[in-house]
Amino acid sequence: MPTPVIELDQVTFAWPRRPVLLDIDHFTLQPRERVFLKGPSGTGKTTLLGLVGGVELPASGQVRLLGQDLAAMSGSRRDRFRADHSGYIFQMFNLLPYLSVQENVTLPCHFSALRMQRACERHGDLQAAARHLLAHLGLDRSDLLRQPVTELSIGQQQRVAAARALIGSPELVIADEPTSALDADIREAFLELLFAECEAAGSSLLFVSHDAALESLFDRSLSLRELNRAAVREEQS
Amino acid sequence: MYLLRLALRSLFNRRFTAILTVLAIALSVTLLLGVEKVRTEARASFAGTISGTDLIVGPRTGSVQLLLYSVFRIGNASSNMHWSSFEKIAAHPRVSWAIPISLGDSHRGFKVMGTTGDYFTHYRHGRDRQLMFDEGEAFDDLYDTVIGADIARELNYRLGSELILAHGTGAVSFVEHADKPFRVSGILAPTGTPVDRTIHVSLEGLEALHVDWRQGMPARGAAQVSAEQARQLDLTPSSITAVLLGLDSRVATFAVQRDINRFPDEPLMAILPGVALQELWSLLGVAEKALFIVSLFVVLTGLVGMLTAILASLNERRREMAILRSVGARPRHIFTLLLLEAFGLALTGVLLGLGLMYLALWLAQPLILSQYGLFIPITPPGLWEWTLLGAILLAALIMGGVPAWRAYRQSLIDGLSIRT
Repeated sequence: MPTPVIELDQVTFAWPRRPVLLDIDHFTLQPRERVFLKGPSGTGKTTLLGLVGGVELPASGQVRLLGQDLAAMSGSRRDRFRADHSGYIFQMFNLLPYLSVQENVTLPCHFSALRMQRACERHGDLQAAARHLLAHLGLDRSDLLRQPVTELSIGQQQRVAAARALIGSPELVIADEPTSALDADIREAFLELLFAECEAAGSSLLFVSHDAALESLFDRSLSLRELNRAAVREEQS
Repeated sequence: MYLLRLALRSLFNRRFTAILTVLAIALSVTLLLGVEKVRTEARASFAGTISGTDLIVGPRTGSVQLLLYSVFRIGNASSNMHWSSFEKIAAHPRVSWAIPISLGDSHRGFKVMGTTGDYFTHYRHGRDRQLMFDEGEAFDDLYDTVIGADIARELNYRLGSELILAHGTGAVSFVEHADKPFRVSGILAPTGTPVDRTIHVSLEGLEALHVDWRQGMPARGAAQVSAEQARQLDLTPSSITAVLLGLDSRVATFAVQRDINRFPDEPLMAILPGVALQELWSLLGVAEKALFIVSLFVVLTGLVGMLTAILASLNERRREMAILRSVGARPRHIFTLLLLEAFGLALTGVLLGLGLMYLALWLAQPLILSQYGLFIPITPPGLWEWTLLGAILLAALIMGGVPAWRAYRQSLIDGLSIRT
């Protein structure tokens, strides 16, 4: 049995002087698995992503990334670990407006030597890696690469963000409602591209959204409401 | 290195506020360096106005005042000393040369100084530099005059030009010595001292102008003495304004000074030019310090402006910070990024300010020279200037620590979630 990419075990989390916000018995994400995590706002979605990213630490239980307990690492080690092994796609405005498309894509490699190395091994050099990913995501027009990122459409911006999350083949890609700003017709096209690239990079995908229509496209679907015992308790009370 | 590039790109993205911030810092740096430059150069220029003169003698007054009117032609003498006193002092065994000077008249705003030909041989400025003639020579005839370089340039006088002196030292005079015009016999080379703005005539010439004056008024009618008639008269002055003394040895200075201070015939004083200059500096020192402190505060204002601009941008840049965190930037990267930003702004401001200062100096140099007789050379910044600039950059770094720390805290709290 391969090591799960994410493994949460008996995890609870609460903000200081607040009731328990997150109480998860067990959750795993296997290598190359694509999991849809359904979660309306208020179910602790942001906090869960913070725990998986190692930005927050659980009050009890263990959060393991690639088999390593995040709480056992120092703060900067956790930051490095996250940079090396995970890529993020946010809801919208994912890009730094003062960098070009290509520079936005290569950004993580400047903070992670491991991803820089992987990107160069796979594609020769960093720029080639960026161009390869962008081309696969349908952004290979040279004029597009030179455009300020603020002039791209939202769909194009999200594809650039996906390329950035995937460069250097991290084991985990976390997407936080990346399609909610997209029109329905391009939503699925974006997902297909994202799946294909995750597959090519060998990355697992943790996809968080409240849009249940996309659920069927994933290997597995989970509801945070069911997963999080604290949310269940709150509803009952 | 990559962080520096990011910081610069981010700044360029906010270039309007960045340019304003840089400009505020640059202008304040220009002011600070300008004030320092003028201060040090004015000091050097003042100090270089007189050298080689061991003592200045005049009627009893303040030593700074005596120095100011006898050497810098600033202000007026309140009383004169007798010619007989001068003769006695000149005869002192330790005195090797004595130059009498007499002030009180002017020509189109330039002061007229009556003296002897010795002035051109013994007066020294800068580092023991003698007065040189650009054209002509020292006065020979009673109505000859030697003019400074600025006067020749500004009033366009040549050798042989005639000029009419006016009574009193105001820029505009209502009483002119029109009956006795003077002729330019020599033009001095520029010295960068008040000599450039002085009209030198012989003591006898000056006496001739006033020979027919009674109670400060020109004579009328038959009592008038014409220029030619004056030549026949004894033109030894009855009084002079001050005396410049050279001694046979520096060691004698205090002894001669004591003798003059105890002069039996009339109350006189002798001052050491260097000591009086020091006294002048201690007087001006307060104003200088005030000016320096004001310009320091202007620099501080510029830096506070930078701090405000960066702090104000922080809130709208929380997304930027979260994105950077998500791609692997650690909180200390965020801290460094903000610090680099402050340093970049300050460095650009300092360099621009330095450039602006030299540009302003280059533009104002001829103006300051002609208006104030002050030559400010364009020289590279000295150790003191570099120290000041370094201190400004250090202050910017320390102040940049404030937004950097805030962004650091914010990025720890925000983590990967985007809050705007």
